[in-house]
Amino acid sequence: MNDLELAVELLRDTPTHENRTGEQLRSWAQTALEYGDELADTDMPVDIQVVEREGGVRKGELLLAEHQRGTVIVYTDALRRTEEVARERGWAVTRESLRRAAVAHEVAHHQLDVRELNRRLGHTARLGPFRLRGHVAGADEIAAHRFAHRRSGLAVSPLLLTAALAGRN
Amino acid sequence: MGIAILILMAVGVLLMLTRILPTAFALAGLALGIALISGAPLTGAKDSILTGVLQNGAVTLAATMIAVLLGSWLGTLLDQTGIGGTLVRKIVEFGGERPAVVALGVFAVSILCGSITGSAPAAMLAGVVGIPAMIAVGLRPVAAAGTVLMGISAGSPLELPVWQFMSDALGAPVSEVRTVMIRLFPIAFVVGIAYVLVQTRRGARHAWAVQLDRPKARVRRGDAPWYALATPLVPIVLALGFTVPIVPSLLAGVVYALVTTTRWGDLNERALRSLYKGFEVAAPPIALFVAIGMLLAAVKLPGAKTALTPIVAAISPSSPIFFVIVFAALVPLCLFRGPLNVFGLGAGVAGVLVTGGIYPMTAVVGLMASYNQVFGVSDPTSTQTVWAAQYAGVRPERSMLSTLPFTWVVGLGGMVLTAVLYL
Ligand SMILES: [Zn+2]
Repeated sequence: MNDLELAVELLRDTPTHENRTGEQLRSWAQTALEYGDELADTDMPVDIQVVEREGGVRKGELLLAEHQRGTVIVYTDALRRTEEVARERGWAVTRESLRRAAVAHEVAHHQLDVRELNRRLGHTARLGPFRLRGHVAGADEIAAHRFAHRRSGLAVSPLLLTAALAGRN
Repeated sequence: MGIAILILMAVGVLLMLTRILPTAFALAGLALGIALISGAPLTGAKDSILTGVLQNGAVTLAATMIAVLLGSWLGTLLDQTGIGGTLVRKIVEFGGERPAVVALGVFAVSILCGSITGSAPAAMLAGVVGIPAMIAVGLRPVAAAGTVLMGISAGSPLELPVWQFMSDALGAPVSEVRTVMIRLFPIAFVVGIAYVLVQTRRGARHAWAVQLDRPKARVRRGDAPWYALATPLVPIVLALGFTVPIVPSLLAGVVYALVTTTRWGDLNERALRSLYKGFEVAAPPIALFVAIGMLLAAVKLPGAKTALTPIVAAISPSSPIFFVIVFAALVPLCLFRGPLNVFGLGAGVAGVLVTGGIYPMTAVVGLMASYNQVFGVSDPTSTQTVWAAQYAGVRPERSMLSTLPFTWVVGLGGMVLTAVLYL
């Protein structure tokens, strides 16, 4: 599967998109990937702190990295697990590139502008007579994955890795 | 004799805690044991084991059972017609750029769901789409689960089947229960909003996270029309605004949901299918209500009453201040299937407090409603907590730690309210 198809799958698995057409999801996924590319090409000063910690392998959730208020936490045990999964599939993923991708994913969340992304996606939320520019859940995640791929030099796409970790392919 | 009954109750709690016996069976066993210890005759028209406890006790909460069944029917319809899912989807579409707005919106939807049906079905109604949606916009999983639970609990003072339960169990008129409940609601509402704001205050959490083994098969249902989204308001508006009785209020909600979402040709089938599904959903609480009815009948037996009343009167604080302090300190006893669990042995305790004339009826209603606010959110063994926590991917005990400081405040508020108004 290529990134576009994987991104469509990601949207399909995100709540609120249960009834969208494949065509609609495809066009949103495309826009989000392009936004991720564009972000990766822009040089922005990164003012972010990185800490490493164990504890990302949890019941029901594998947490590779998270970020809140300018601090990125990278979970080393989750990265090890990811490396194992990648090796089983014969993907040449190094620990270092994985770590770079995890940090870059969070940097993307830090830098991307959800409003700008939603403006490009051009979705209109409707409720009876009400119309408003709508939010597309999951699109920021796609942009972050693409950004991380571009910035980290990871051998496989983070979208593909994520799908593999979730056991979806 | 009173001591023997208390020991028996302790054994019953132990059996429930260790899950050797399901709560309903343990309570029915307790009812039988209490009746035997208090020397009730086996047969006889009144106050006998066969007629008084088993026959009449089983149907004491009959009106509650019908209310719960109708609530479950309406809850099933909210799910099957897509009303519940549409509400959450619209919140994310309109407010997704701000996590706090999404969380407050799901909190509001959870209140509505909680006012229709209780426990796990309500949590699922709001949470199946709501919990992953909140995580997707940047809430921590434990906060996402907590938001749904706090919402359901804030809705429970407006839950008509709970009104009926308090009324049937304690013998209070519905109007009195309603008075207590609408005063309790603002406390639960404000504290619930505080919980959501505290949880979202630190801004969105963004992560590279992979959800493992989450049940993937979400049923795809179309959007319900916007005017159908008012369905959850119908029963409570009728019951509160127009003092319509509980059963017709809930029925009106069912009819509104059906006619706004379903084509004429499909009406019968959908109505019947959702009703039967509602029976399934209502089975656990109804089984519990049969047993609680028996327990209530047992503690009201003359022998049990004369044995228990002096003991309970001796340990029950009489001044309003001690009432608040003691019962607020006892809050943990309503968790883990403890003796103050309102939908368990706690109903029996409430029965003793009322029949023994220890507190005015309204005070007991207020006390039980206060415990219900804590139990409904924080108890890590209750089905809604277990479901919501696991669905969010966290342990129920973590969910309890996150919500308990807030629900304890709600419980305390309810007890202060009770002491000020009714003692
Ligand atoms: Zn992310």
